[in-house]
Amino acid sequence: MSSWLDYTINGLIVGNVYALVAVGLALIFGVSRLINFAQGSIYLVGAYIGWVAVVQLHTPLPLTIIVVAVVAALVGLIIERFGLRPLQNSVRIAPLLATIGISFVLDQLVMLTFSPNPRALPSQLPDVRFQVGGGTIGPLDLLIAGVGITSAILLFVFLRYSKLGWAVRATAQDRDAAMQMGVDVNRVNQAVFGIAAALGGVSGMLVGMYYNQIDTAMSLQATLKGVVAEVVGGAGNVPGAVVGSLLLGLVESYGVAVFGTSYRNLFAFLLLVVVLVLRPNGLFASARQAPPEPLTGTFIAPSRPVRIPRWALLVAVAAFAVLPFFPVSFYVLQTLINAWLLGMLALSLTLVAGTIGQVSLGHAALLAIGAYTSALLSLTLSVPVGLAIIAGGLMSAALGTALISPSFRLRGHYVSIATLAIGEIVSLVILNWESVTRGPIGISGIPPLSLFGYDLISASSVYWFSFAVMVVLALLQARLLSSHLGRSFRAIRDDDIAARAYGLSLNRYKSLAFIFGGFAAGVSGGIAAHLYSYINHETFNTQQSILALTVVILGGLGNVVGAVVGSVALVGLPELFRIAAEYRILIYGIVLLLLVRFRPQGLLGTI
Amino acid sequence: MSNIDRRTLIKGSLATVMAGTAMSRAAFADADPILLGVSGPLTGPNAQYGTQWKQGFDLALDEITAAGGINGRKLAYSFEDSQSDPRQSVAIAQKFVSDPRIVLELGDFSSPASMAASPIYQRAGLVQFGFTNSHPDFTKGGDFMWSTSVSQADEQPLLAAYAVKKLGLKKLAVLHLNTDWGRTSRDYFVNAAKGYGAEIAVTEGYIAEERDFRSTLVRVRDANPDGLILISYYSDGALIARQARQVGLKQVICAASSVYSPKFLELGGEAVEDVHVGTRYFPEDPRPEVQKFIAGFKKKYNGLEPDAFNAYAYDAMNMAAAVVKIGGTDRRAIRDAFAKVKDVPSIIFGTATFDVATRRVKGAMNAELVVRKGQFALWDGKPT
Repeated sequence: MSSWLDYTINGLIVGNVYALVAVGLALIFGVSRLINFAQGSIYLVGAYIGWVAVVQLHTPLPLTIIVVAVVAALVGLIIERFGLRPLQNSVRIAPLLATIGISFVLDQLVMLTFSPNPRALPSQLPDVRFQVGGGTIGPLDLLIAGVGITSAILLFVFLRYSKLGWAVRATAQDRDAAMQMGVDVNRVNQAVFGIAAALGGVSGMLVGMYYNQIDTAMSLQATLKGVVAEVVGGAGNVPGAVVGSLLLGLVESYGVAVFGTSYRNLFAFLLLVVVLVLRPNGLFASARQAPPEPLTGTFIAPSRPVRIPRWALLVAVAAFAVLPFFPVSFYVLQTLINAWLLGMLALSLTLVAGTIGQVSLGHAALLAIGAYTSALLSLTLSVPVGLAIIAGGLMSAALGTALISPSFRLRGHYVSIATLAIGEIVSLVILNWESVTRGPIGISGIPPLSLFGYDLISASSVYWFSFAVMVVLALLQARLLSSHLGRSFRAIRDDDIAARAYGLSLNRYKSLAFIFGGFAAGVSGGIAAHLYSYINHETFNTQQSILALTVVILGGLGNVVGAVVGSVALVGLPELFRIAAEYRILIYGIVLLLLVRFRPQGLLGTI
Repeated sequence: MSNIDRRTLIKGSLATVMAGTAMSRAAFADADPILLGVSGPLTGPNAQYGTQWKQGFDLALDEITAAGGINGRKLAYSFEDSQSDPRQSVAIAQKFVSDPRIVLELGDFSSPASMAASPIYQRAGLVQFGFTNSHPDFTKGGDFMWSTSVSQADEQPLLAAYAVKKLGLKKLAVLHLNTDWGRTSRDYFVNAAKGYGAEIAVTEGYIAEERDFRSTLVRVRDANPDGLILISYYSDGALIARQARQVGLKQVICAASSVYSPKFLELGGEAVEDVHVGTRYFPEDPRPEVQKFIAGFKKKYNGLEPDAFNAYAYDAMNMAAAVVKIGGTDRRAIRDAFAKVKDVPSIIFGTATFDVATRRVKGAMNAELVVRKGQFALWDGKPT
């Protein structure tokens, strides 16, 4: 029994660690209705500033905290001023993407400055430990708990009793009304970003000390856990974020206790999905809170899509189709194969995110389902590869839609968070379901692509095959969009209340979109599996989901041609920058930022 | 300065530069280096390993050049960043196979990235020389896949013998990284340890991003083992050791060679004192090649201590040089040369010779170390 006490204490300790990130996220969400994916990067920056202060400048702990808080706050102010303020009047998705771009840039700058090797960040507190239960607690555990809880209380007091706090809350409730009442909305935003960044930075430093270890890969995991904790608590609710974090820590700890270590993150993301399904606004969303503003077309930039004449499309398709007859290198062909595979994924995402307005951050899961289905069918049941790929597409369509359907009642950002969680859950199930998926060993020896008994192994045959599949899928989707069904999809995206009033069944239409989209993504995953001959649970990861989202934003949401153009651009750009080696992610991040800033409706516009 | 002037000036200087390049091309055509392709992570979550590879490669290349190169020609490499991502490693593979200057490829780091590219290398007939690829199926990709990564079938029984027979641990808890490497290693270890008569009380797999092990360690405590086995890299190994001590576990800890790094000591601090490590190389090894490697490394990198990944890369580059020396610059001849090289001096293996059946090297060195006073030391045979 005493072990349960230990599991509880451990859960609370790690929950405190999550709280440090979640509080900053909640504050920003409260004011800007923005999930700040750069918060983890500020946490990373804080950890490294802390390292410089402690190891090189030998500052005492209180001074270290102040230095880290001030520098991190400055970073936050810069992000707000130059990264996000210019996007104020742009579509909702723009600042979200901008924070992703900013996180790429920050992570990469830290890595270039400090090298990717992990570093030790010594704790500046005495190493005394108190016996509690079967384990012990040290001063740093208490300090982390103290910082988490104190900052939540201070923030609460600040929001409730200070004038600036009122302004923050007024802005959160109704930005335009606050502006009319003379609130300097920009100053409010600055204050919020400064505070959140200071908290994020200090938390990175404290967590680094707690583990005596910092490295440049720590930011994504921090963001993920912070977002989960914050949304569980009720986005935008500061005390809720603390409770959500502690709950997350406890659920993880008990999950490990009952099922073992490898299930840990599975429980974190399941908790998120369950909470979202039962209480779509999180556990502590107050009843008095104004309902989220109608998200009618919120994500979609108003724009006139660029119409590309039919003859031009035909010429382009023909040109790409005959490309292998010309002396192009296999490297170029392979790069284009990657682009066609990404293109199928982008078609899938542009349909669900663009046409029907369900922004998905977990789309790589559909690839994984298709890839595993196709690989296992052809390998264990000797199903011909062509049929196996189709089966992979069907499985992605069925399973993907079933998994995502609970999120159909969610709105706005919550859909993206739920899909993010579902993506992680699929990956963790693949890792743990060993009897079927072979777990961490992955599947090797997947037969190469073949059609009617002929192996397609040369780069040009794979090229033609993937290009043909993509063109067919694109044509089907274009036909779909111009049909009555496509118009119904767009009606739901633009105004779901009106669409419902008109008699459209939202769930049924969303399911149809995911079924079609799931099929395209599953086929892409299936082809990839046979192309790579080896896959494991990491082959299709969150980065791939983010890349797909970037592609469809770049091309223009819902725009079929745009999805393909975006894929070619985003597969091609990093290859062009290959010469820049360490700098290319940095360049990619900057390109993303510029794109969001100057062409948020995408290159070809939204259909 | 008028516009025209500026344009002429730029043109002029461009012409000069180009003429210069052309001249140097002509003058040094014979001295063009023999080029190896490297596909590995320089950005992304595994970036640190790519950096360590470079350090090891560069040191080996300095020495190879100083010794007169490969029959008078320099050896060089072209490092393409794959982020250890299969999509990028296949594109890099196509780039390398269609670049006639590349005679041999090294890498990639992770199994998905490496094995996704294998079919391309195999079909094109360019050797894919993986030196961190312990996935049991890597060399089964074809006869152009060769590896100096120590087979876990080789290493884990040695660790099991250290833990069970020498340290006398009878009831073990195994914590392993839940990747293809960790999982394969765990299975070999568990089999060997059972063979030596030990009981496996609990095994726990954790994912690479994990930082918090307290709850895992409570499970371990409840299983009441008398030893903890870590199949970890240095960063997670150090974390587990620290947290084990924090939650009050005092059992003997015994770790796989992959924790062997100065970083393990730095990140683990006092908590890794008395941790036992079975390793493939250690600085006090009196063998001259090891001492030369360490001295050279410290000199080149301002006193930095090399670790296992530096050593793998250094060994791999030396092996590549030995193979190219025999095989010349013909890709197929280089493949055949892998079967011919004998007893190449190696940090990890003493001397390395490939087993033609498995295309791997057998017989990794094994030293039994223990952390004493914050340093790795040869184990003196005394129980901790």
